[in-house]
Amino acid sequence: MRFRFGAEGDLTAPSADRLAVGDARIIDFLSRFARKLLAPAVARRHPELGSLGFFLRPAELRRAVAAMQRPDALTFPRGNVFHVPPANVDTIFVYSWALSALAGNHNVVRISERSANAADTVLEALNATLADADPIIGRTQRMVTYGREDAITGALSSWADLRVIWGGDAAVDTIRRHPLRPSARDLTFPDRTSWAALCTAGWAAADDATRRAAVLGFTNDAYWFDQAACSSPRTVFLVGDPADADRVQDEFLTLLGAVVAERGWTVDPAMAVEKRVNAYGLAAVGAATGLTFAGNAVTGIALADIEALPRRWLGAGAFPFVAVRDLADLVPVMNRQDQTFSHFGFTATQLRDFATALGGRGVDRIVPFGSALTFSAVWDGYDLPREFTRLTTLQV
Amino acid sequence: MSVFTLPQAAKETALVKELSELVAHHRAACPPYARILDASGAGDRFDTVADLPWLPVRLFKNLELKSIGDDEVFKVLTSSGTTGEVSRIYLDKAAAATQTRMLGATVQSVLGPKRLPMLLVDTKSLLKDRRSFSARGAGVLGMATFGRDHVWALDSDGKPDVDAIRGFLAAHGDQPFLIFGFTYLVWLHLYEVAREHGLDLSNGTLIHSGGWKKLVDQAVDPDEFRRRLRVDAGLTRVHNFYGMVEQIGTIFLEGPSGGSLYCPDFADVVVRDPDTWAELPPGKPGLLEVVSTLPTSYPGHVLLTEDLGVVHGVDDGDWPGKRFSVRGRLPRAEARGCSDTYQGGAAPRAGAIA
Repeated sequence: MRFRFGAEGDLTAPSADRLAVGDARIIDFLSRFARKLLAPAVARRHPELGSLGFFLRPAELRRAVAAMQRPDALTFPRGNVFHVPPANVDTIFVYSWALSALAGNHNVVRISERSANAADTVLEALNATLADADPIIGRTQRMVTYGREDAITGALSSWADLRVIWGGDAAVDTIRRHPLRPSARDLTFPDRTSWAALCTAGWAAADDATRRAAVLGFTNDAYWFDQAACSSPRTVFLVGDPADADRVQDEFLTLLGAVVAERGWTVDPAMAVEKRVNAYGLAAVGAATGLTFAGNAVTGIALADIEALPRRWLGAGAFPFVAVRDLADLVPVMNRQDQTFSHFGFTATQLRDFATALGGRGVDRIVPFGSALTFSAVWDGYDLPREFTRLTTLQV
Repeated sequence: MSVFTLPQAAKETALVKELSELVAHHRAACPPYARILDASGAGDRFDTVADLPWLPVRLFKNLELKSIGDDEVFKVLTSSGTTGEVSRIYLDKAAAATQTRMLGATVQSVLGPKRLPMLLVDTKSLLKDRRSFSARGAGVLGMATFGRDHVWALDSDGKPDVDAIRGFLAAHGDQPFLIFGFTYLVWLHLYEVAREHGLDLSNGTLIHSGGWKKLVDQAVDPDEFRRRLRVDAGLTRVHNFYGMVEQIGTIFLEGPSGGSLYCPDFADVVVRDPDTWAELPPGKPGLLEVVSTLPTSYPGHVLLTEDLGVVHGVDDGDWPGKRFSVRGRLPRAEARGCSDTYQGGAAPRAGAIA
């Protein structure tokens, strides 16, 4: 086992260290860590760390701590938290861990052996911050890397009061084979699918600059994590008069191609082949009726109908399109797996009615184009600061 | 008799006609294929081989693609991959017979018409292992029909059986004989043994396949492979080949002077630019597309492989037509993403199935 951060030693040994919700030593540590992430050199190399630094600014931290307090109960740390973040998203472990640390928990984060790039930069910044932090930080906050050693996962699982499992269905099932203490529970982040919706009337009414800004935001949402993040939009719904759908799809794809080229998003040959295999596969079974390959980066897929909605990943830059008259038509096809719904051109009332009609049976986040990947303390339908704390009620 | 006879211009004319007919045939007989072509806007008239619509070879792992009725299926071939996905290739009686006949004609181009005594550089126990049987076993069995008096060069543990090899050479070594095996097995278990024991393989013709990846560690490239076999074992007739179960019966065979693979008269290759998908001229490496007129029972007549290759020249080598080599595989597509399981399926697999 490799210790990546924090004091080496027995991870599950009883500890006398006590942290409070919103502990000043944690806030101090996170604030200084955030400053390192916001340094121009770091943010240039890994723009996603800039967003992370922004999320951890002192004002944001104080707001999060305030949100943990309640008028009807005393708030305390949940206890020991074991985090199993995904291998491929370099920064999600930091969000998960930082909120839990802010809640005063003792944390062990398992960093994947496959992690690289931004994750290494994060660990460097964490360790540099640790040098002049209160020693309690290193004793209570630990990050480790180990292989497929069930004994370690088992020991950490029986140590934990809360186990946070990212990485999709397979990861959740694998980790869940290890029992928790009766009082403990899991916070799971299974496979998710995310969508985008364009109001065709809203698109028609928008000027060039507005359309461009929308497409730019959409491009970031889609291409940042090879369209494979749980919140990356995949199928695009064209909502409105079906007579407008083809024209809007063409305009959108043309602008998308131009923005992708300008921004320099590229797709390597292996990914291009992957997309062909998946797009041809959809066509073969009749789920797709039209395929357009405008270079390798942008693949347009016209779906036969709403029933053909694909929920599996099709490769980076693969965009199925399907036309519906009204957002209400989407309500029956959304399900619990659906997470983020990015939108453009709708009114606030339309979106609110849509969310109300969904009734929590699917879709956890409804956000404008460009915000799909912006992490927030409310995620996947969970209020994370609440999950990371426990409540004591007091009647006198 | 040889199947390496047509100069490129004549071959192109013949193939465009036959393959265009196959496109129409499969379009009529294989609805999923027709839907793919319709969705991607493919026409029905093609001026060049490079204009023909291709399918990614991996599609045969995900879909059942056949142009014959269920009651006409005579044989289902499978290829193994490390991801557990397998290609399924459906043959009717006619296609099965044709592929055997054309494979025979191809190897007879270098072996002559008579069956030769055959040394198989593999182990008999290979045929018992159901799992590896589909790929390596099928390859060995397919090629075994072109020889006689077979001897296995490896024992049941996969170690060289020196007595068996010596016995084979004592009986047949003074006249032409055939050696067949996977490239790395030939190198590790026949070449090294022949050198150590001073075996004379000079009357042999070696046909081998399976890729060079395992030999790269030992710094053995195709030229070195040929040179060492010649110098240390007297083996001068050496033919590598490239082929895949998805185009069963078609193999691209190395010419007598080595260094290049050649296309039989009923097949060809197109090297494509992986960004524009346009055909690349000789000398420019790209993604390899293989075409063949043999697949009549399934739409495998124009396939984009996940192998990288380069055409070295046209009508300028041992035999007419294009000469090319294979330069390894496209890496796997892998995405960053929240789920740990987003991966493409471009898994390495055995290079050749006969």
